[in-house]
Amino acid sequence: MPLNFQQTQLKNGLDIVAEINPDSHSVAMGLFVKTGSRDESAGVNGVSHFLEHMMFKGSEKYGWADVNRIFDEIGARYNAFTSQEMTAYYANVLPEFTERAIEHLAHLLRPAIRVEDFTTEKKVILEEIAMYLDDPGHRLYERLMEEHFGKHPLSMSVLGSAESIEKLQQPQMAEYFQRRYGPGNLVLVATGKLEFDEIVKLAEKYMGSWPRVNAPRQQPAPLYKPHRQAMTDPKLNRQYTMGMTPGPSAQDDRRFAARVLSDVVGDSEGSRFYWALVDNAIAEDAEFGFYPHDGCGSFYIALTTEPDRSEKALDIALKELERAKHDLKNDEVERAKNKIASSIVLSGEVPIGRMRSIGGQWMYNQEYRSLEKDMATLNAVTTESLRQLMVDFPFDPMTIVSLGPGEK
Amino acid sequence: MPDRYFQHTFDNGLTLLGEKMPAMQSAAMTFLVPAGSSTDPIDRCGSATVLSDLILRGAGDRDSHQLSDYLDTLGLQRSSSVGIHHTRLGCAGVGPKVFESLATYADIVRRPQFPQSGFDAARDLALQALAGIDDEPRQKLMIKLREWHLPTPYGRNTMGEKDHLEKLTLGLCKVDFVERYQPRGAILALAGNIDYDAIRAEVEKHFGSWHARATEPIKLMPAPGNVRHEEQQSEQTHIGIAYPSIPETHEDYYTMRLAMEVLSGGMSGRLFTEVREKRGLVYNIWAGYSSLKGQGSVLGYAGTSNERAQATLDCFIHELYRLQEGVTLDELNRAKTGLKASTIMQGESTSARAGAIAHDFFMRGRIRTLEEIKAAIDGVSLDQVNAWLKANKPGPFTIVTVGPKELKIPV
Repeated sequence: MPLNFQQTQLKNGLDIVAEINPDSHSVAMGLFVKTGSRDESAGVNGVSHFLEHMMFKGSEKYGWADVNRIFDEIGARYNAFTSQEMTAYYANVLPEFTERAIEHLAHLLRPAIRVEDFTTEKKVILEEIAMYLDDPGHRLYERLMEEHFGKHPLSMSVLGSAESIEKLQQPQMAEYFQRRYGPGNLVLVATGKLEFDEIVKLAEKYMGSWPRVNAPRQQPAPLYKPHRQAMTDPKLNRQYTMGMTPGPSAQDDRRFAARVLSDVVGDSEGSRFYWALVDNAIAEDAEFGFYPHDGCGSFYIALTTEPDRSEKALDIALKELERAKHDLKNDEVERAKNKIASSIVLSGEVPIGRMRSIGGQWMYNQEYRSLEKDMATLNAVTTESLRQLMVDFPFDPMTIVSLGPGEK
Repeated sequence: MPDRYFQHTFDNGLTLLGEKMPAMQSAAMTFLVPAGSSTDPIDRCGSATVLSDLILRGAGDRDSHQLSDYLDTLGLQRSSSVGIHHTRLGCAGVGPKVFESLATYADIVRRPQFPQSGFDAARDLALQALAGIDDEPRQKLMIKLREWHLPTPYGRNTMGEKDHLEKLTLGLCKVDFVERYQPRGAILALAGNIDYDAIRAEVEKHFGSWHARATEPIKLMPAPGNVRHEEQQSEQTHIGIAYPSIPETHEDYYTMRLAMEVLSGGMSGRLFTEVREKRGLVYNIWAGYSSLKGQGSVLGYAGTSNERAQATLDCFIHELYRLQEGVTLDELNRAKTGLKASTIMQGESTSARAGAIAHDFFMRGRIRTLEEIKAAIDGVSLDQVNAWLKANKPGPFTIVTVGPKELKIPV
């Protein structure tokens, strides 16, 4: 069933993009804002994510209890997420609730940011930070981003630290909101069973008065230098190791080859890392993957092992990366492409999956990619394009960090 | 049943279920084999987990590499896991490729190669996973909560026990395989872009001669009981609360589910509102219905910093009791809308539907249609919910905490 794409821009500059699937049972709508921890100054680290929480605390018209109540009244599956580079708010509803969902998303993004709510929610944010401190994988990832990106803004933590959140004041958040949240820096994405004209009419009605913002993003070139860092925590039983090295950006056409390469080398099943590290139980988990960012990108390694096997596992992983440069085979590339093709088909059947994918693409490229186009691009990836990719991005320099119990 | 759903049980006991979903290109399979952790022999806790890995390390005439490469060539997204009742194998992909994989899944559950090196690695990985539990206190809490709340052997950790895994051998695994990888009680469910008649013929061809064996029913022993603290120097105190509920087949099932939605359905649910939104005590709090064959439970979780853990536990328990005073019509209407919407949206995912029809058949012996579920939700009245809540006081509670300090139990 071919899906139909439509787009327009309101007078205030608000972009609206939609992919219509008459066979869907529901409609998913999301507001994607091009702002995240990389757009913060060190003094307000964590404000993007904290602000995302504050959106659910009410507008001038509604209090916090109303926000959740109204979403639940229309049976919405709703939530929000913040990354280094974007913040998104979304609701997946049955088609009869389209108007109420858009109206409510519009309220969500005009928050009152009341001081009293700010004070209560600060405690929740501090709990979220504490929760992640009990998760060694997350602790390690945050340190890896910090070490790998150094002074580049991608090194900033999404959650911020307990210290930065404690210090943050309501006026700083209000100022950040004014500067970053408006047409020119956000897009409304709708997918599934919908009438495009209706979506545009409703967006005009509820979002047409939003003032445009000019919210540029700093794009300094990252300065990578190879280095290693070890953290110890005697409470832990296992060793967690991660490595990061440059890869293509979210705008770079080589990102499709990078995705295939990730699958060949580091998928959880049937990949080179699987056979070299997990099949023989040297590592409990061994992953190689790809994070495309705005203007730059990274490949990463993630290993979970017994403490005394971590060096061996890392050594094998690095050798596998070297080996991949020389002996990639067509059949493994084709298998990886088949797996990715299935995931494209599966995600295309669910409106919320399409909404996330289209919103993400739009943030980086202001481009719509149909499932057919994704499939054609995937088909065009060859073993040779993977080889060339590894010439362009030779897994060097590499930042390596580890977290484990240390000497016991 | 309308043309959308299909159900057939073969002579050897294997049940095949199908749900045809028009407009889908994909199909998904859920295969439940009666080899859950509760069927592990008393001194071989973890055998099902090792087996679930081992059967994928070569089957039929394909070795481990060939088997994996073949399934990847079909582009399938694969999964396998061990639950209390079953070992679950799953895959999803383009419809014809899922169909094509059926013969290979017959090899996997009927003719694994059992290489010694594969066994050694599978057991090693199971031991590593077990050692990792202490690194993630949230995961540890949920394992301990099930262990203390559910009757034995349902409550046993599906990952196994260290000394049992250390003593496990390939020979013992093979014995356990023969006992439990069998058609009686096995459920194979497919949903999406499927041709049911062709699937039925293919399943008959590859599974028709699968030999059934008699099995002993599992003897349940009472849960160990009620309050437990696991000391750990974690950042947060992790709190688990459990209490018995009615089984899924009970006539009040939908009434109870709607009451649970009011407690912890959407973000306007009572736990989220009272503990997080109003007081800011937690980031993560929830309670939900959990279903086993013939019995149900409510399981709940909250994570909070150590100095606020007592206040969180008190507030959590208070909300569980307050539910007895009844819910409002607005709360019930939101619960109904939410449950119905998630039921309809589940109809957009072939994987979700394959899992749901397999679950329905195991619990109820039949598939519930989406229309039936919607009608049942609509049929529940406010009086019914409030009468049920009044008659069903929550408890007795199992309360487990993981953190640096023991809490005072407010019940």
